[in-house]
Amino acid sequence: MDIQLKRGLLDVCVLAAIKNEDSYGYKIIKDMKPYIEMSESTLYTILKRLESANMLTVQTAEHGGRLRKYYHITDTGLMKIESFKNEWKEIMSIYRFITKEDK
Amino acid sequence: MNKQEFLAELRKGLHGLPPNDIEERLTFYNEMIDDRMEEGITEGEAVSGIGTVDEVVSQIIAETSLSKLVKEKVRPKRAMKVWEIVLLTLGSPIWLSLLLAVFAVIFAVYVTVWSVIVALWAVELALAAGVLCGVLSFVILIVQVNVAAGIAMLGAGIACIGLSIFLFFGCKETTKGLLFLTKKMISGIKSTFIGRRM
Repeated sequence: MDIQLKRGLLDVCVLAAIKNEDSYGYKIIKDMKPYIEMSESTLYTILKRLESANMLTVQTAEHGGRLRKYYHITDTGLMKIESFKNEWKEIMSIYRFITKEDK
Repeated sequence: MNKQEFLAELRKGLHGLPPNDIEERLTFYNEMIDDRMEEGITEGEAVSGIGTVDEVVSQIIAETSLSKLVKEKVRPKRAMKVWEIVLLTLGSPIWLSLLLAVFAVIFAVYVTVWSVIVALWAVELALAAGVLCGVLSFVILIVQVNVAAGIAMLGAGIACIGLSIFLFFGCKETTKGLLFLTKKMISGIKSTFIGRRM
C-alpha cells in the first residue's frame, strides 16, 4: 500500500482502537493486527503525534505490580474519526466512478 | 538477548537524542516486552519479536528530524564559563566561516545531483524533439520533391526514437538511484549525530 495513504490510515486506526475503551500499546497493536500490521516504533510515533494534536491523553496506571500507560481518546480524536468517515464516503464515490468501466 | 540487554543496547544506540526522549522510548519498549511476556512467551521471544536493536534505532533515526538532532548536539551540557563565551565570540570569524563552508558543500552536492538528473532528462527531451523535427522535415522535403534529403531526415528521426526509448529507461533508473543515494546521505548525516558513544 502507498506509504502516505497507510500513514493516514494508521492514525485513524489507532484512534479507533481506543475509541470504545482506554487501551495500552501492546493491546492496540494486537487489536489492529488482523486488519493492518504495525511495528512498535511506528505505534510510538503515532501515539506521540496524536497526543501533541490533543487527540488522546495518556494516563499511567498500575498493572500487575508494574506501570502501564493507558491511552484515552479526546473529543478532538472522536471528531477526527468522524471526519475520516465523511472523507471516505467521498473517496468511495470516486472509487465507484473509477471502476464503473470495469463492469 | 534478555530485556535488560536489549534496553541497554537501545540506550547506547539512541545516544545523541534528547535524554527525555530516550527515557520515554525505553519505558515504552519495556512495557511492550512485559506485555508480550504476560501472554506466556519467553523473555527471549518477547525481545526478538520487537526486532533487532539496529532495526529499531534506524527506524527512530528516520523518524527524527535532522534539526532536532543538531539542536540536541549543540545544546551545551553545562553552563558556559565566561572565557569560553569570549573565545567563542573571538573565534567566530573562523568557526562560523567553516560552518558555512560545510553547509555550502552539502548544498553543492545537492545541486550537483539534481543537475545530473535535469541534464539527463534534457537529453531525453532533445531526442524526443528530434523525432518530431525528423518527421516534420521529411514531410516538408518530400513536398519540395527533395526525396533523398527527406528520407535521410526520416532516418534521423527514427534513430532518435530508438535512442530516446533506450535513454528513457536509463534516465528513470539513474534518477531513482540518485534519489536513493541522497536519502542515504541524509540518513548518514543523521547517524553522525546519534550513536554508540557513552
